[in-house]
Amino acid sequence: MAACVSSIRSVRVLSKIIHGHFLPAAAVQHQASSSRWLHGTRGSALSPAVSLTEEPDTLYQELSVRVKGHDRAVLDSYEFFATLAARELGLTLDRAFEPRKHTEKLTLLKSVHIFKKHRVQYESRTHQRCIQMSRVTGSTARVYLEYIQRNLPEGVAMEVTKTSVEKIPEHIQKPLWTDCTLE
Amino acid sequence: MAASITHPALSSLYKINSNINGIYSLISFNRRISISSVRSSSAVATETEASGRGVRVSGVLVLIAQAGEPRSERMAVDQDWTAVYPTAASFKPAAVPLPVRMGYPVKRGVPPAKKGNLELIKIPNFLHLTPVAIKKHCEALKRDSVTEWPSALDSDEKCMKRFPIQVQSKEFVSAGLSLRNPDARIVTLKVKLSSLNLDDHARKKMIKLSEERYCKDTDTLTITTDSCPLRKQNYDYAMYLLTVLYHESWKTEAWEQEKTRADMEEYEWEDSPSQKKVLDTLLRMRALGAKDEVEEGTREELLGQPVVQEYRDTMLRLKNEGETEENLHKYKEAVKKLFNI
Repeated sequence: MAACVSSIRSVRVLSKIIHGHFLPAAAVQHQASSSRWLHGTRGSALSPAVSLTEEPDTLYQELSVRVKGHDRAVLDSYEFFATLAARELGLTLDRAFEPRKHTEKLTLLKSVHIFKKHRVQYESRTHQRCIQMSRVTGSTARVYLEYIQRNLPEGVAMEVTKTSVEKIPEHIQKPLWTDCTLE
Repeated sequence: MAASITHPALSSLYKINSNINGIYSLISFNRRISISSVRSSSAVATETEASGRGVRVSGVLVLIAQAGEPRSERMAVDQDWTAVYPTAASFKPAAVPLPVRMGYPVKRGVPPAKKGNLELIKIPNFLHLTPVAIKKHCEALKRDSVTEWPSALDSDEKCMKRFPIQVQSKEFVSAGLSLRNPDARIVTLKVKLSSLNLDDHARKKMIKLSEERYCKDTDTLTITTDSCPLRKQNYDYAMYLLTVLYHESWKTEAWEQEKTRADMEEYEWEDSPSQKKVLDTLLRMRALGAKDEVEEGTREELLGQPVVQEYRDTMLRLKNEGETEENLHKYKEAVKKLFNI
């Protein structure tokens, strides 16, 4: 019973880490039972909440994550987080580089009325980071992207480019008209 | 007079939100009031005023809460940091045991300290994403739905051989007036024509049908669709276009018989003016007194000579690939051999 209580507590802490709040009791009970089940059967890798489907997983030959923000230090930290997460989840990291920053400048009149020669200049700098990964499966990509996107800091935008590879579909493999001429 | 005991509980009892300049004050009292000993009110008032915990605001004695010891003093070095910052939260100087300084330094001084520092609160912090925390999260995520890449497809060539069609799309995450980004619906489909089941005529017709969507250098057909509002619809439309192109290119229409020399994609030497000229020249080069008419047999024989074949190769290369130093040089050699110079 003590073990059950401690496992429930550890599950609550774990859920708090992941979800940021304590799950309601019913869900926690289910998780507690599932964790006990996991301890019991070490061979199985999936918890009962996850199911396998017959549908084949999409394959992404390239996954490119580009983040843009006004603060370079925030992007530095985010890059460290994203690359570490990719390595921990087993994704092959191609490269993580910094494209050139984009500066938007504005020259306005300093005074409300006249004084055309005296202006004031403003600029807005957008820094970028690009993290490229290759050969990722669909479910892994979904999990990784959701984790990355939920932890996106304030003031940072993200653009994800996915390149998936597919087989030639059935209806393109052979021509419909076996005798080619059509008069 | 009863012995005055400074009860620490008293200081935390009252929470004051007031403008000390005396314009107005808003005082909220906590209901839990425990008084250890009964003392006269005036004695209490003078004592709190003397100790600095109380201030007179327009005749009313207002108690100021005194901050206790910050939590960071009592933190162990090997504590579980994921319990202190489990999720994204603003910077709490009392909860972070680091001597952080931030801001523009005072004149001939240092940047301001962390206590009450707005700059530290404004910037997004990653205190909830320490390497330990990331590893913990990834362990939990790996147990769920992370699948491995098939080991047989370890190189790009194998991938392209088995899965020739590439579909590219984009996703956008940003905060603004709207969450939607209309560029997210665009789908680009790329396929190499060499991987499709096409014969010669079908390949040429497909290239002619796709016009500028076909790149000759990489032999790639690129179909970009953005006419539908959803990504799935655009993907289906792209696949439909590919299917239609494929099947149409296998068909041979009646009017395709009228294809002229100007419609041909590549230069063909057979039945070209160049071939006629060569034949003519070779016939004139024969010994004087030969017959004027040409028989079919001699024509084939003349054209079958290796010098003529070489000339044909150089002509094809010049017309199809363009004029380069090497091509022109080979043409010169072939012409010299033809005329026995």
